[in-house]
Amino acid sequence: MSTIAIISSFADDARCAHAIEELRAAKVGDFNTFSPIPSHKIEHAIGKSKSPVRWMVLMGGISGILTGLAVTIGTTYEWRLNAGGKPLLSWPPFIIICFELMVLLGGIFGFLGVLGLSGIPATEIALGYNGRFGEDRFGIVVRCDEGDAARVESIMKESGAEEVVREGV
Amino acid sequence: MAAAPKINTEPSYRDIDRSVLRVMEPAGRAYWAWIGFCFTLVAIAGGFWARQIYSGLGVTGLRQPVMWAIYITNFVFWVGIAHSGTLISAILFLFRTKWRTAVYRAAETMTIFAVATAGLFPLIHLGRVWFFYWLLPYPNQRYLQPDFRSPLVWDAFAVSTYLTISALFWTMGLIPDIANAREAATGWRKTFYTVLAMGWQGTDRQWRHYSMAYLLMAGLATPLVLSVHSVVSWDFAMAINPGWHSTIFAPYFVAGAIFSGVAMVITLLIPMRRLLGIEDLLTEWHFDNLAKVVLLTSLVVSYAYITEAFMTWYAGDPIEQMTFHMRYFGPWGWMYWVMVSCNCVIPLLLFSPRIRVNLRALWVITIFVNIGMWFERFVIIAGSLTANFEPSQWSSYRPSLTEIMITVGSFAWFLGLFSLFSRFLPIISMTELKEGIVWLRKAVKRDRVRAAA
Repeated sequence: MSTIAIISSFADDARCAHAIEELRAAKVGDFNTFSPIPSHKIEHAIGKSKSPVRWMVLMGGISGILTGLAVTIGTTYEWRLNAGGKPLLSWPPFIIICFELMVLLGGIFGFLGVLGLSGIPATEIALGYNGRFGEDRFGIVVRCDEGDAARVESIMKESGAEEVVREGV
Repeated sequence: MAAAPKINTEPSYRDIDRSVLRVMEPAGRAYWAWIGFCFTLVAIAGGFWARQIYSGLGVTGLRQPVMWAIYITNFVFWVGIAHSGTLISAILFLFRTKWRTAVYRAAETMTIFAVATAGLFPLIHLGRVWFFYWLLPYPNQRYLQPDFRSPLVWDAFAVSTYLTISALFWTMGLIPDIANAREAATGWRKTFYTVLAMGWQGTDRQWRHYSMAYLLMAGLATPLVLSVHSVVSWDFAMAINPGWHSTIFAPYFVAGAIFSGVAMVITLLIPMRRLLGIEDLLTEWHFDNLAKVVLLTSLVVSYAYITEAFMTWYAGDPIEQMTFHMRYFGPWGWMYWVMVSCNCVIPLLLFSPRIRVNLRALWVITIFVNIGMWFERFVIIAGSLTANFEPSQWSSYRPSLTEIMITVGSFAWFLGLFSLFSRFLPIISMTELKEGIVWLRKAVKRDRVRAAA
């Protein structure tokens, strides 16, 4: 049986989230959503775990601290500057450098993490994407067997979809 | 530009997009004349800088002992201006402040260009600018390493981190909005926005990672914003110079930075909302809240001035007391009192709710704050250097035309870049405004009721 795409658009995220819950309960096909804003309702309905980008930020932050320590301690030992017999390692100023590098690398890792995990830069347009999904409509695109199409369409309409369109894949 | 269509009291997502995207339509002659004027001033300032590089710092008014004056004042002033952007975009984001959504993009943009302007001044201040890379942590030919105990090295790390993180945070916020602009644009603009949007389509996968990263970036930027001006203040506080060597400098400078930065946001936004026809997105409610931040930080800054005077009197150090006496009643005493009037007295008018929403009055008050904060930095930096420990070294300072023109050029550079941005990229975040549409609707309704009354 051939696979088709069913594209539905909703006026708000509550209806869209409801449709996603129904779709998951019915276990028909796999789906993708589009929305003009990040929506907690949709995120909860999809039920995926928290983004792993947080681990990337953590790794960046730790790398920053370690780089800061390596640079400050390393260069101090490289050029031993005895200032009035005080201890060679001056921790308070080193903390500043470590802090700045923690933020710098944490931020860079986080930014690159979003790009990598989100698949951007993307050159291809996702199946079913429509400019209005960036403006004021919430969209669900379901890929399913042709036999399940009627069931998916009825779930969408019952959940309050404004428009439901079939498209070949 | 066509007349701004009034959005109804119940603005929809589409109304928001239309109002913001309309600003990005091709601009008229007046706009390009303004841009031309700004960059002509920048070119003139560039000419003065070129002459300074060729002839040396002798063309400035910098003479021993006043070797830090207008250039470093400008550096601290512009870094300070940069602070409100991250305050509004990161700190107020973590506090879930409702009114930030309409103003944060403009404030963040201001941050980027203010840091870019500030970053020029340490270079302009160098006699031999081609050795700027000596600040970077790498060993020279004798394996002599930079001294990490020097506040100037901390400064290089802090300011460059601040610029990078602010730019990344700003870019992240822009991506979904640029994708919106891409859908509406035609011709070369469509290609331009398509490249900048990097294929953003607003899928659940993209939003999931974006939201998490945005939250974490805000979390990282929050301590960063407080650290940057603290580090800038330590450029002075770590020196034993009277008038500089004080433990209150970090919080004092941070409060001053937020004070001047928010005042500058208001100074830019009031004419901008009128010229770009976005009165319905930037309402009186937004300005009322911004004015409250100015008032609060003005009180903190006033408290810092009083504390500084008290500490000097209580500590009983005669050299320090002499410096402060000179600051208040010396040849440059008028500057101190200009600063007190602009930063402590005039902002008290903002206790009146009526003045907070009277945009003309508010604009004038914020101009005074900008002037006052520039003088504050000048009084602290150059003023403290005129009278040092050694009376035989006491001297004065008079800025040269080169310094004045480069200062004027820095304002033109900042305003020119900000004006360019405001017509080519979304100056208001459509995504965040849509997220907080309930609050925008309330604010628009309030404005309409007030206008009708």
